[in-house]
Amino acid sequence: MFYLLHLIMLVLMMSIGFVFAFLAIMERDLLKAVVFSAGQAAAYVIVYYLLMSPDIVLAYAAIGVGIYSAVMIIAIKKTERYEKV
Amino acid sequence: MIELVKTILFFIGMGLVGLGAVFDLIGALGLLRFPNFFVRLHAATIGAIGGAVYPLIGVALMAPSLESFGQYRWYLMGGAIITALFIVLAAPTGSHALARATHRAKVVPVEPKVVDHLEEDRG
Amino acid sequence: MNLESLATTYVIIIIPVFLTAFIIYIIRAVKGPSVPDSVLAIDALSYDAAAFMIILAIYFKSPFLIPGAIILAIWAYALDIFVAKYYEKKELGE
Repeated sequence: MFYLLHLIMLVLMMSIGFVFAFLAIMERDLLKAVVFSAGQAAAYVIVYYLLMSPDIVLAYAAIGVGIYSAVMIIAIKKTERYEKV
Repeated sequence: MIELVKTILFFIGMGLVGLGAVFDLIGALGLLRFPNFFVRLHAATIGAIGGAVYPLIGVALMAPSLESFGQYRWYLMGGAIITALFIVLAAPTGSHALARATHRAKVVPVEPKVVDHLEEDRG
Repeated sequence: MNLESLATTYVIIIIPVFLTAFIIYIIRAVKGPSVPDSVLAIDALSYDAAAFMIILAIYFKSPFLIPGAIILAIWAYALDIFVAKYYEKKELGE
């Protein structure tokens, strides 16, 4: 019973991360792609929590949600927002 | 006497966790159903404050009765209280900054509007 | 029934409500017509994930993953400020 609940949470969060990663790759608006990437990081933080790895939780929350988004938004501001076909 | 106080705090904490879960569902439904960005801000506030701060305070009140944690139950209580304090400070600030930037950059039209003095002042 | 097993049973009842709310936030973040809608949904999702992690600490009976919730709440706030600074047409850090 308990293992079934673990498995449901793990599969749900990994599916959410997969959907966000797919959308972040296919999106033409790069600012929206950065926001989707932050959502993928927030879903994977819970995945790593369920897999019981505290150091990866700490590093992934800081880098995936915060620093990566900051660097990418600075890069988008310096260049241009919409991807050319 | 101490045991009685701990038990009462435990049941108050259980009530707060359940209330937080219900608020979380209400905030998510509001965020899905409302028509406009400036209207959705209300539902997002319920989702952030009601859905995150209430369960954290509830866990902090439930923590002294959890004997299997040993000494680490005070660690759980402190972590829950610090996270709740930070979310109380951070969530309204972030929502306000985002709403101000959206209104200034005119990304979304202000839809149910009678008068907008802020827009008139900026010209 | 002592308080420990009562707490574990109660948390097992609470967890599906949080998962349902997560799915609805995801729908709004994917559908969102403009970028601030998506940012708002991701923001509320991250705060609720921080609360969900501390509730899961009762379920797993292990307290050593608590600091991850604090870190996640802090950096989810930073994402709001970055996008707001982008729309305000100012440099980051000014």
